Amino acid sequence: MSEDLGAVIDEIMKSVEGDVSREDVESNLRKFIDYGVPVEQAKQAVIKKYGGKQAVQVVQKKLGEVEPDDRRLSFIGKIVAIDEREVEVRGEKKKIFRGLIGDETAVLPFTAWKDFGLEQGEVVRVKNASAGEWGGQPRLNFSEWTEVEKTDEQVDLIKRKPQHYDIIDLKPGLSNIEVKAKLLTMEEREVSVEGTIKKVYTGIMGDMTGKIRYTSWTDFGIREGDVVEIKGAYTKSWRGAPQLIFDENATVEKIDEDIAISEMSKKSIPIYKLVEAGGGVDVAVEGVVIEIQSGSGIIYRCPKCNRAISEGVCPVDGEVEGIPDLRIKAVVDDGTGAVNAVFNRETTEKLTEKTLEEFRGMNDGEVEEELKNLLIAHPIHVEGNALSDEYGVTLIVQDAEMVTPAVEQEREELLSKMEVME
Amino acid sequence: MREPALRVFAGEYNESTHVLKGEGEKTPSYVITPLGAKVNRLFIVGVLTDVENVAQEGEMWRAHLSDPTGIYSIYAGQYQPEPAAFLSRAETPSYVAVVGKARVYEPEEGTLFVSIRPEMMKEVDAMLRDYWIVEACKHTYTRMKAMKEAMEMDPPSVYKLKELGYPSLIAEGVVEALSAYGDVDIEHYQFLIKEALAHFETGKIEYMKELGEAEEKVLEIVKKCEGEDGALWDEIVDSGEKEGMERNLVEEALASLMDKGLVYEPILGKLKTT
Repeated sequence: MSEDLGAVIDEIMKSVEGDVSREDVESNLRKFIDYGVPVEQAKQAVIKKYGGKQAVQVVQKKLGEVEPDDRRLSFIGKIVAIDEREVEVRGEKKKIFRGLIGDETAVLPFTAWKDFGLEQGEVVRVKNASAGEWGGQPRLNFSEWTEVEKTDEQVDLIKRKPQHYDIIDLKPGLSNIEVKAKLLTMEEREVSVEGTIKKVYTGIMGDMTGKIRYTSWTDFGIREGDVVEIKGAYTKSWRGAPQLIFDENATVEKIDEDIAISEMSKKSIPIYKLVEAGGGVDVAVEGVVIEIQSGSGIIYRCPKCNRAISEGVCPVDGEVEGIPDLRIKAVVDDGTGAVNAVFNRETTEKLTEKTLEEFRGMNDGEVEEELKNLLIAHPIHVEGNALSDEYGVTLIVQDAEMVTPAVEQEREELLSKMEVME
Repeated sequence: MREPALRVFAGEYNESTHVLKGEGEKTPSYVITPLGAKVNRLFIVGVLTDVENVAQEGEMWRAHLSDPTGIYSIYAGQYQPEPAAFLSRAETPSYVAVVGKARVYEPEEGTLFVSIRPEMMKEVDAMLRDYWIVEACKHTYTRMKAMKEAMEMDPPSVYKLKELGYPSLIAEGVVEALSAYGDVDIEHYQFLIKEALAHFETGKIEYMKELGEAEEKVLEIVKKCEGEDGALWDEIVDSGEKEGMERNLVEEALASLMDKGLVYEPILGKLKTT
């Protein structure tokens, strides 16, 4: 009998309860194997035959082979980073652990839903983990049923290759990013970090797909107008919207080509993209106005702090003589996502073709009717900067236009697409 | 996060028998259509065909809204004051836009009726109705493509669909629909889209206007050339073309004038005014 089979029989004996002779198990197992059944399946079949507990069928993988939706994963990896965090699960506070685990093929993020006593730098054998997906890559989950044991094996970590992103696809919380973009603006500032003065460079960069705010903590000798390739950057959230950060761990290379940013500036993106990113700089979307919210129409602002006031009382400056202003707060929805859009006086006057003074001559009900008649159910193109909070994404509209849909043309396009499909 | 208002045809929405119920108060529920639309909120534009107060006492308006593929049921009561007020004075037929929440009624296990509880209703014009049809076709088409991809996967994967560029909402809906309904008759939805695209109003109206103008001009041409024996067909068409009309349009106009009895054909190939 080969040694391998001996180990298999040991495993079967362990899973099978009661009086079963080793000989019976072996002859049964051999029968399956003689019929050409693979050893692993033969083992399960014998266990089942003797009424044993079905052993969990684990899938041995290298981390680079892990795909989201994988179940019952088994692998060996090195804890690259670990971070404790408190979360609320169904009203109860629970400690979870987040980190990175790596082998020679990949480094993946993981979440441990209980305390396995993991420490940075340890090599562990993990059995029965599962994978989900986050930010376009697999994320491992270690649950109640996952087994984790320390081992002495050596793991050489892969040198992670940065992943290339188009700017439109960036969202907060990504790392090891590679982008190619044009530095549209750049400001130099000095900040004090733990007592020492450091120079930071901030501004907006863009590629053909979109624009993003950036902060560089290192002087890479790059200037406004340069087209650069950045490797090893990461993103953080700035008022919900993504911000690209790069420091001495990143490489920045000036490249000799131009990106014609102006060509893309008015092209609208699907709203779900903006919602997923949590916001953006100079974005354009097109959708239907499906709601006009209260606080639209004539409002009064505090002359000192510019806040919207109600009944002549500013929440900060008390009783003031309010200055009239005009705005619309609306929900724009394209069927893939929805954003709140705030139109200022200028864009409101442009859309309604009425001035603030004309609106002041109407009563509140008339103003509301006017705005609803004009905007509700009507397609609109809006541009501006978008931010997000717990209530969703808000676009501060810089420019807006009513859209006259080219229905005939769109119909033709769709019909020809359908023909291709058949 | 605010739920987007999906564009879904009645023909697809009404076939739904699967609901994804949210756990707890804050998680929303969704109607999952056979083609994988994950519907919490909808935006539709259609023809309001009838309105009725179905409450024994008080107010509960039931309305039907027709699109090229089917009919939506809409219910608005005292907690939807604006839509209820709209329905109480709405005229039928009229083009109406509705934003509303997906609602289900399950009288017994396995039987599910879907309807809409409106948040906003407004009368619109034919152009916005056509625009909605095109939008609904585009969204249905995208789901159809995603469904086709998913049906070729083993097993269908949300992640893989997202990698192919589909939004989370579509990827999740399609995978959920496949597990709830099994394979989907794609051709049925292809047919649905084509039916819808044939239902354009603005195109028709513009064409009728164009045809009307052409008829007037063509009638003038016939009068000018008819003489004693009538005007030659080819001569009329040529003159029409010289005046900047498409050949097809001139012929359509002539046929229409003959239908109306304004022009007749005393001898084959010659035309006279009556």
